[in-house]
Amino acid sequence: MNHKMKKVLESPVIWPLMGCIILYALICAVSGAVNVRVITSGLKLCVFAMLLGIAQMIVVTSGKGAIDISQKYILTLTAYISCELMQYSIPLGLGMAVLAGMACGLINACINVYLNIHAMITTMATGYLYYTVILLVSNKFANSPDSTFVKFTNTNLAGINSMTALVIAIAMILYLVLYKSKYGMNLHAVGQKREAARLAGIPVHKTVITAFVINGALCGLAGALNAAYCGGANQDLGTTYFLPSIAACFVGGTNAAGGRSNIIAVCVGAFMMTLMSTFLNAANISVGGQRLIQGIFIVLLLVAATKK
Amino acid sequence: MRHKEGQKPYLSLKNIDRFFGITKALQGVNLDIYAGEVIGLVGPNGAGKSTLMKILTGVLPRTDGEIIYNGAPEETYNARVAKQIGVNCAYQDLSLCTNLSIFENFAMLSVSHSPAPIRNWRNKTRTEVRNLIDTYFPENNIDIMKPLETLSLTDRQVVEICKTLMADNLKILILDEPTSALSSDKARQLHKIVADLSARGVAVIYISHKLDEIRVVSDRIVLLTNGRNKGEFYSDEITQEELIAHMGGASEKKKRTSPDFSGQPDMLKITDLNARGLNHINLYLKKGEIMGISGLAGSGQQELLQQIFSARTKNIRGIELNGRLSYVSGDRAAEGVFPFWNIRNNILIANLDRVKGRLLIDGKKADQSAQSWYDKLKFRAQGIDSNIMSLSGGNQQKALIARGIASEADIIILNDPTAGVDIGTKQDIYRLLDEIRQMGKSVILYSTEDLEMEICDRVYVMRDGCITKELKGDEIHVSSLVKAAFIETEKKEIKEKPKSVLSQYMAAPWMLPLITLIVIFAANVLINPNLMSYTGLRMKISSALPLVLAALGQMFIVMCGDVDMGNGYSIGLVNVIAGIWLTGNPLLGLLGLVGFTGLYMLLAALIKIRQIPAIVVTMGAQFVWYGLALLICPTPGGACPQWLSAFLRLKLPVIPLPVVIAVLAGLACWYLLFRCRYGIILRGSGNNVQALERSGWSHLAAKVTAYGIAGFFVVLAGLAYTSTCNGADANSSVNYNMMSIATVILGGCDMAGGVPVPMGVVMAAVVMNLINSLLTAMKMNSNFQTAIIGLILIGVLALKFLIHRKERGGYES
Repeated sequence: MNHKMKKVLESPVIWPLMGCIILYALICAVSGAVNVRVITSGLKLCVFAMLLGIAQMIVVTSGKGAIDISQKYILTLTAYISCELMQYSIPLGLGMAVLAGMACGLINACINVYLNIHAMITTMATGYLYYTVILLVSNKFANSPDSTFVKFTNTNLAGINSMTALVIAIAMILYLVLYKSKYGMNLHAVGQKREAARLAGIPVHKTVITAFVINGALCGLAGALNAAYCGGANQDLGTTYFLPSIAACFVGGTNAAGGRSNIIAVCVGAFMMTLMSTFLNAANISVGGQRLIQGIFIVLLLVAATKK
Repeated sequence: MRHKEGQKPYLSLKNIDRFFGITKALQGVNLDIYAGEVIGLVGPNGAGKSTLMKILTGVLPRTDGEIIYNGAPEETYNARVAKQIGVNCAYQDLSLCTNLSIFENFAMLSVSHSPAPIRNWRNKTRTEVRNLIDTYFPENNIDIMKPLETLSLTDRQVVEICKTLMADNLKILILDEPTSALSSDKARQLHKIVADLSARGVAVIYISHKLDEIRVVSDRIVLLTNGRNKGEFYSDEITQEELIAHMGGASEKKKRTSPDFSGQPDMLKITDLNARGLNHINLYLKKGEIMGISGLAGSGQQELLQQIFSARTKNIRGIELNGRLSYVSGDRAAEGVFPFWNIRNNILIANLDRVKGRLLIDGKKADQSAQSWYDKLKFRAQGIDSNIMSLSGGNQQKALIARGIASEADIIILNDPTAGVDIGTKQDIYRLLDEIRQMGKSVILYSTEDLEMEICDRVYVMRDGCITKELKGDEIHVSSLVKAAFIETEKKEIKEKPKSVLSQYMAAPWMLPLITLIVIFAANVLINPNLMSYTGLRMKISSALPLVLAALGQMFIVMCGDVDMGNGYSIGLVNVIAGIWLTGNPLLGLLGLVGFTGLYMLLAALIKIRQIPAIVVTMGAQFVWYGLALLICPTPGGACPQWLSAFLRLKLPVIPLPVVIAVLAGLACWYLLFRCRYGIILRGSGNNVQALERSGWSHLAAKVTAYGIAGFFVVLAGLAYTSTCNGADANSSVNYNMMSIATVILGGCDMAGGVPVPMGVVMAAVVMNLINSLLTAMKMNSNFQTAIIGLILIGVLALKFLIHRKERGGYES
């Protein structure tokens, strides 16, 4: 029992989960009522941070300080692509958005791996490129979503929003991929020590590239969903989710140097970030106060969640 | 010289215990150190020699026992006390910073810690260092102004040794495997130094695996095995064989006859392989054979193993491989274990296909497979779920060998698999090798211990990248191996082309930004000749000033090996402090700016003490900056303080003020980093923290200082920004974050840390600014501007990578 207790307390899920509970309590206190809708609407709102957070986690886990800061641009770009192509067919728009995301991820990975440029610098530079593409397509592509697709994102399945259900299903599949499959094992090995992984016969480059491509695919999906959710694409669509997703990734115990991840903790972290903004809005605090509290809260959580 | 009867020891270690968890590294070890006596400390790897030396240098506290100095026990014995007593150590893993010049590496140890300025310290230290190296190692050809990374391993070792000799009150000198990387003439010079020191009354503790050397150098030999004293001998009263016998080496010798392999197929055949560090290699490996590779360390064995392993995935001319390969490294920490994992995953990772179901890994199969290995290898652990790092080195190595075998490869490469492994586990490993062979697999074994080669069926001995001798069966024994290792090869005269002054300048990190600056500037002038005028230049550089200062701040953080992801918003915070507070209430404003710099320093302390990655913390901190800025100034407004805009409007003769400020800021950073004593520490902290701490400097202080300076530059950048936009807006300076990082990289700094290039950064910042105006002037669609910056960034770094690869070569996976 004691041993189990210890294990639970050491799990990275514990910190974001505690954050969720505290924030929920605060929301109830501020609004003066225990409201279940806070949770259901939070689950709907958090899907974008969740998708990006999981995607970021996979990239970071590949090690060597890898991080993708072009995510927000990939999301925006694919939002435009989905809006444009859904005019013809929904699966086409959705598929192409995901494919375009994967292509962006592939470009990032190839520059990072084959030119040996630090992932952060690589994605910063490619982010500039994607942003230019966004500027070029923004006045040519349709920027309003397909109404049928919007309807889909608004339907509820047994009280749970369809987007939430979709993202949870994806997270479950990725759970199996990351922790129960050969690729997942290889990814975590590569993230811990690339040289050791190479000598153990693991195809290091392929593993890293795959991580970036999965990341791109998830960003693409997030882009398509987000365009529908926000009622269309705009040039700064992704900016809102950049920081919450990064925060979710690291508050969820992802090791910044790679090799250790916990997808459940990241998902809870994304939910927590959404609850936080719900609380800050509900508490009627000025925008400055909101950001300040948010920042202090995140830094404190990082201090708590980072394993020494 | 041998200590005299009745001579009192200078320092005594009595009944020293040191436990790491349940591992007993030292148990009741005694060591008396007499002035002027040379102690040869020997023992198999893992005997506790380095732990004992760490206790002697005060780096590790003892679990129990006494340290007696001048007859009185020292209760609190730490690194500082050890320094005072005069204990110094030349480490095997070299406590040097590769980014600093040789003379700076010395200065790190010798310069005063007091902040008071010392006149001419560079020249003084330089002469001292020059004299020191020349006295001890005559004819060394070491240029002390060159960065350490340009030196060969031998010369680095020379520097490390000389560094310890620099201490004023040298009483006890520890040399940890000092000749492992030294050429034989340098080793002879070292032996002479040891004799001189001993004559001067300095006690020397000489750790070495080379028993012949130990007997020549030392007066008294102290033998440790398994963390206990195993005996003391006077060097002239014991033979090498007796020593080996005492270490438990000889008793294990068993002669066995090698079977005849001539009928077996070749698993590997190398014909006339020439590669980096390898000349005309010819060898073969039969099925079921244990082939050894021997020779003095650094004769090309590592290169050969790497080449063979590379043949796994790509075609290499001269290598014919008929089977699958696996690789087991003895450098467990760097190339072997996956530290976050348990034994199970560490064993199975190379062979996941065998424990896979249709899609996913079959947990039951995996457990069974790992458990069978676990039982077979008799791990000393709680079970397959124990974390690999909780095991001793020997048991970790067993797991790695199990990984190699479990991968079902036909050929297993073992690269020094018994390094740091205790005798008992070594025997287990030898038994494993025999088993591998009986399974019909082949083994390639490289070991730094000659004795180990006796289990091989055939041994190739290498020297200078060539195979000089092939030994078979009974011919393989230590003496024949040693003899073969010294066979002279035809020395190819490797002439280093002296680099011309021009090519040296071309390689300087600030060259690329300079050339870019000239090109971009010229292009700008062509389109807009007005730029050359006083006013044109003034306006242009004035608009670049915030970026110049922001990038210099970023440079100090990148120098630490970190990155500031929040300076876009922190410049915004300074902007509102300046635009609202400083304009309205100068005292409040000033306090605000000082407090802001303090927060940056606090951030550094948090990053260092809690070991949180800087990228994450600074990203979180940007919410704090943004929030504070919004609280001070919720909507854009305010104005630039009068005095500030008045100052920046100043008209200097000939050269416009913004140009002067930019150049002065760069020069100030350069002076601080490359001319001040603390600059050495700041740069060193981004390269080798251990070297810094071993030299008695605080890493925390260095990091806090660097972040403080970075904060100060953010303040300057914010002020410059306030004057350009003449107002306060929490939200408008966000772009400076990415721009400053890009500028630092273009300026020639290294993301890994330790390489600040202040003038390069200043020039790169101006370039960034000029690019935008060039594109605007060329009527380029403004949408392309960000793309161009992105492309330039990738282009520059790709160019750097290609040049570097040409210079260095090396193995890429």
